[in-house]
Amino acid sequence: MVDENVKACINLHAVLRNMEDLCELDKEAHDIIQGKNVAIRFSVKNIPAAIMTFNSGKCIMEKTESRNCHMNLFFKSPEHFNLMIEGKRNPIPTKGFRHIGFLKRDFARLADRLSYYLKPTHELLRNKDSARINTILTAYTAFFAIPEIANNDLLGKLNASRIADGTINIEIDQGPAIHITARSGRLEAAKGKASNARAFMVFDSIDTASGILNGTLDSYSCIGTGQLAIRGLVPMIDNLNKILAQVAGYLR
Amino acid sequence: MKTYTYPQSQELFKRAGKVIPSGIYGHLGPSQGCYIPTQAFPFFLERAQGAYMWDVDGNRFIDYMCAYGPNVLGYNDPDVDQAVREQMQIGNCTTLPTAKMIELAELLVDTVDSADWAFFAKNGGDVTSFALMIARAATDRPKAILFKGGYHGVAPWAQKLGYPGITEADTENNIYVRWNHFEDLEQAVQQYPGQIACVMATPYHHPIFEDNQLPEDGFWQKVRKLCTDHGIVLAIDDVRCGFRLDTRGSDHYYGFKADLICFCKAIANGWNVSALCGIDGLKEVASSVMYTGSYWLSAVPFAAAIATITKLKQIDGPQTMLEKGKKLTDGLREVGSKYGFDLKISGESSLWFMRITNDDNLVLHQEWVAECVRRGVFFTNHHNQFINCAMTDADISFTLEVAEEAFKVVKERHPEIGG
Repeated sequence: MVDENVKACINLHAVLRNMEDLCELDKEAHDIIQGKNVAIRFSVKNIPAAIMTFNSGKCIMEKTESRNCHMNLFFKSPEHFNLMIEGKRNPIPTKGFRHIGFLKRDFARLADRLSYYLKPTHELLRNKDSARINTILTAYTAFFAIPEIANNDLLGKLNASRIADGTINIEIDQGPAIHITARSGRLEAAKGKASNARAFMVFDSIDTASGILNGTLDSYSCIGTGQLAIRGLVPMIDNLNKILAQVAGYLR
Repeated sequence: MKTYTYPQSQELFKRAGKVIPSGIYGHLGPSQGCYIPTQAFPFFLERAQGAYMWDVDGNRFIDYMCAYGPNVLGYNDPDVDQAVREQMQIGNCTTLPTAKMIELAELLVDTVDSADWAFFAKNGGDVTSFALMIARAATDRPKAILFKGGYHGVAPWAQKLGYPGITEADTENNIYVRWNHFEDLEQAVQQYPGQIACVMATPYHHPIFEDNQLPEDGFWQKVRKLCTDHGIVLAIDDVRCGFRLDTRGSDHYYGFKADLICFCKAIANGWNVSALCGIDGLKEVASSVMYTGSYWLSAVPFAAAIATITKLKQIDGPQTMLEKGKKLTDGLREVGSKYGFDLKISGESSLWFMRITNDDNLVLHQEWVAECVRRGVFFTNHHNQFINCAMTDADISFTLEVAEEAFKVVKERHPEIGG
C-alpha cells in the first residue's frame, strides 16, 4: 500500500536528489546550470526538507532543516508534492520571487532531462551512453529510496529493524557505489564505498544492475550465475532487498 | 591439492533459469544456500553414495549437509533401499492405505518416549502447521509463543510480516520471545491470559547465521511446568534434530516430555515422510482437524522409515553421530587454531554449527568454507552441518586435511590474522 508521506520522501530525497548526478552526467543539464547560483528549498509539510544548490557548475542536494536559501518552495501536503512530481500541480513559492525565471525555464528543462532518463524510451536504452546514465540514475533512485522506506513505511520499518547495525556496500563493477548504514533499525544512504562494511553486494556490470533494477533480470538467478555477488552478513542484504522490493510500488 | 571447477553445473543452471524460478529455488539453491562465492560451489548432482556425492562435473565431495538432514544412515543405505524395493513391488500411492502405516505408527509409539500416536505427512512444515492447528483446536485459543530466530517451515504463519506474500493476519497470533529467557515466556503468558494455545520450539536453539544455544539447566522443565499450569500445548519441532540426538525424541534427550513432537528429515533416510507424534489427550482432537494430502499415506516412504528407525536403534545411530561429530569438530577447531583462526563450534556435535570469529562480518568464514568445498568437503556457510552414520574415521581425517589446507590458503590471503 502506498503511503503518500513515504512517496513524497522518496520523490524528494531519492528521485529529485538525482539532479546532482544528472548535472554531472548529462551534457545538456550540465550546460543549463553553467553560471547559475541559486539555492532552492523544498519545504513539504510532514517530511524532512531539502535544499538543492546550483553553484559553480554543480548541483548539490542536502537533506537539511536549514532555511538558508534563495528560494523556498512550499507544498501544503505530501500529496501536493507528489502531484508536482507528476506534473499535475505547481509549488507555492514563499521566498525568492526573483528566481522564478530560473524555476520556470531552467529548472523545468532540468526536470524534463531527469524524466527523460528515468522514464526511458526504447530508443534511449539502445544508446549505450544514455542507457548508462539511465542505469546510474535508476540505481541511485532505488538505493536512496531504501532509507526513506526503511525509516517511514510500516513494513519497511519492520524489515529495517531486522538489519544488524553496520554498513552494506553496494557497488556496480566499474561503476558507481553507494553504502547504506543501519543503526538501531534506521537506515542512511551515502555515495561511495565504506571501508568497514559488514555486507557486500556487487553487480558485475552496468547491464546486470540495469536488468535487475528494471525487472528484466531475476536477482536470485543472477546470484547463481555470479552476475550479482553477495558476501558478509547476508541477512543484512536479505532484509535490505525486501525493502528494495518495495521501491517499485512507490515509483509506479 | 587439486581444486574443483563446475562448468557443467553452471551450464545446467543457465538452462534451469529459463524454466524454473531462481534456477534452483529454496535452500538447495545458491542464493538461499549462501553459496559464497557461487563459483566455489557445485549446483547439480550426478549421484550419491554413503557419505559422498559426485556433481555433474565429476567432482567428489564428502557431504556434511546430508541433504540438509535426511541422509542419516548414508546415501543408498542397503537395508533401507531393500525395504523400499520390496514395498515398491507391492504398492505405494494407493486408494487404501497399507498396513505399513500401522507398522510405522506402532514403531514410533514404541520408540518415541512421548508418543501415544503418530500422524503422517510429507514435509516438516506439514506437521508443524498441524501441531499448531491441534493446539488451537484443543484449547480454543489463537496464539502461539515462538522463539526469535526459530524456524518452523515456510507456511505463512511461520514467516515474518514484511516478507513477500505475508500479511498481517498471517502472523498476528505469534508472540516471539528470547531463547533461554524463561521470564519472557512467563511475561507472555501473563500478558495474554487464556489466549495462548501453544509454545512451539526446537529442542535447542539452532537459527541460521547465529551460534546455536543449548537449553540452560532447568529451562525445559520450567517451560513444561508453565505449559501444564496454564493449559498450553508444548509442541517440539524435532524436524532438524530428530533421531540425531536420541531415537526416543529430543525432548527425552533433554529430560522433559512434549505434548506434540514433529519429525521429518532423518526419519526415513531421504524418503519423503514426516510424522507428528502426540500424547493420548490430544489424539481425539487430532482426528477432528481436517488435514490430509494426496501422497501422505504412500507405503514406500513408510517402509523406508521403518527400516531407518529400526537400524538407527540397532546401531545406536544418534550416539555414533554425536561421537563422530565431536571428533570432527574438535579436529576442525584445532587445525583452525594452528593458523590463528578461532573456529567457534556450537550446538550438538551431530548437527553442529560453526563460524570463524576473527572478523565481525563472516567474510573469513565464507572464504574458508569456499576453499573447503573447492577441495571436496561440502560445508555450507551459515546453517547446521550434519553427520551421518556412514562417515568413517578415514573420512574425518580427509576432512581435516582439506580443512587445514583451506585455513592455510585463507591465512596467506589475510596475513593480518595472528597465530
